[in-house]
Amino acid sequence: MQRRVLPGFGLSLGYTLVYLSLLILLPLSGLAFKASSLSFDQFWDIATGERALASYRVTFGASLAAAAINGVFGLVVAWMLVRYPFPGKRFVDALVDLPFALPTAVAGITLATLYAGNGWIGRHLEAFGWKVAYTPYGIVVALTFIGLPFVVRTLQPVIEDIEPEIEEAAASLGASRLQTFVRVLLPAIFPALLTGVTLAFSRAVGEYGSVIFIAGNMPLISEITPLLIISKLEQYDVVGATALAIVMLVLSFILLLAVNTLQWWAANRHKATSGEAR
Amino acid sequence: MSIEIRGIGKRFGNFVALDDIQLDIPTGELVALLGPSGCGKTTLLRIIAGMETADSGQVLFSGAEATHLHARERKVGFVFQHYALFRHMSVFENVAFGLRVKPRKERPPEAEIRRRVMDLLKLVQLDWLAERYPSQLSGGQRQRIALARALAVEPEVLLLDEPFGALDTKVRKELRRWLRRLHDEMHISSVFVTHDQEEALEVADRVVVMNRGKIEQIGTPDEVYSNPATPFVYQFLGNVNVFHSRVHGAWAEIGRAGAEGGAVPEGSPAHGDAMAFVRPHDIDIERSPVAGGLESSVQDVHAIGPVVRVELAHGSELIEVELTRERATELALAKGQQVWLRPRQVKVFAAPTQPLEEGGSGI
Repeated sequence: MQRRVLPGFGLSLGYTLVYLSLLILLPLSGLAFKASSLSFDQFWDIATGERALASYRVTFGASLAAAAINGVFGLVVAWMLVRYPFPGKRFVDALVDLPFALPTAVAGITLATLYAGNGWIGRHLEAFGWKVAYTPYGIVVALTFIGLPFVVRTLQPVIEDIEPEIEEAAASLGASRLQTFVRVLLPAIFPALLTGVTLAFSRAVGEYGSVIFIAGNMPLISEITPLLIISKLEQYDVVGATALAIVMLVLSFILLLAVNTLQWWAANRHKATSGEAR
Repeated sequence: MSIEIRGIGKRFGNFVALDDIQLDIPTGELVALLGPSGCGKTTLLRIIAGMETADSGQVLFSGAEATHLHARERKVGFVFQHYALFRHMSVFENVAFGLRVKPRKERPPEAEIRRRVMDLLKLVQLDWLAERYPSQLSGGQRQRIALARALAVEPEVLLLDEPFGALDTKVRKELRRWLRRLHDEMHISSVFVTHDQEEALEVADRVVVMNRGKIEQIGTPDEVYSNPATPFVYQFLGNVNVFHSRVHGAWAEIGRAGAEGGAVPEGSPAHGDAMAFVRPHDIDIERSPVAGGLESSVQDVHAIGPVVRVELAHGSELIEVELTRERATELALAKGQQVWLRPRQVKVFAAPTQPLEEGGSGI
């Protein structure tokens, strides 16, 4: 075997495997083990029950919507924070982290109060006949709130890495602002944007605390899967809860794998024919 | 396209980057903006390119007002010191960029784009790299691609900001000769910024020497080197010994012994303090006393490639002399030896009102 320059490969590999096993693999296999006390037909009945199917739709749909919203507006915020000096920049920068730090229940209650029919924002939206709180829209609002920092914080260092000269070069070659953005800047930040959106999405899928206060939790309409799991647990239906958990786990894993592949492709496609450079 | 710069001024806070700059660049000329860092040369280039706005003054392209044109409307090719290539695009796509972003009705068809890009890549001798990405190229190759990219839109002016600044000496020398040849073929008005006097003197048709936001001298490389207009230009273009001097009528004396100096330029005060500038290779060393020679002692002798550099002490002043190898062998100088030196060519300036900048080896 070739000798490596960096020492400690064996040690760090062992540590990584043990750590990941203890922290992630072991609890997850426990879950699978618990669910295996069900026959496949029983599992399928629980997993594809009417309420369960509706809750997947709400959970994954709202999470995707929130992640997409964050993808667009998080990019704007990150761009603003990196590129332009403005008064109070540090304050705004700190504000971005708030959804990380705030207890999710506090966020949920606050948002529910604001967007309720008599709240500061809800009052005006309701004037247009748009109910936000206690509907699936409310879930999207809450998930957008908690997902924002993931997108902004992933994008900031990448945007800092883009020299302003790149934009000047594009302009001197005759590109408009839109062309510069679409052809030059977006491809450069796309892998990071995808990472940020994925993180925001994963976080949103698992979110519970903030959602239940604003969702209204009506079965088949605004009930999220994590809530369904909790209510099963409250009825001491542990096996039923694990069945739903397995479904979420598999769906999330497939989605993350797909996004990771896409991201790997985006990051590597312009290094395709590496080797014998210069 | 000719460029005229009329009274351009630019400040960054309290710092005056450019102070009332007047400059004409005739069509087809290759002009070097030369000066130490912070002298405003890059700012001037960026104002010509439309990437910076001037506080005052005008930029005219072929006599037409261009001061407020946006960078993308100026038909200016710009080459950056650090290449600024688009990392996620192949070399081909980098060069094609300027053609692809043209409005639909001006955009050439795909076959035409292909042909033009490949022609340009052949011109910069890198057509075999078309499918590579910038990260797989060396610095010199990247800069040539950047140049091809700038030329793709057929600019009427080519602006280069320290184009060879990030490259190593050998590649730099190759590339600047190549740039000169390219310019002779294309005859496009070009301005390049550099702090390397050798580069400016070798490549440019005309050299604009700048210092502290002002133009010190404009002239051909030969003019600015052999007939510097100001003490700054003298010091910036090559090494120089500065002697404190006193002017007596038409002659200035240098050194403590009242040795022979040089002719005083017209318009200088008839009497008073002055500074005499002598290039290290314009000094002769003699082993025996000569009339008008300055007595001094040898401090150090270094052989540097084709020349031998001798450090001499005259009183408390250090003087640098460059000899050919033959002359040095003839003299057989040793440390501590007493010698007499005689300047062959001296340039006298009235004593400056402000201290000189770094550059050169003033005493």
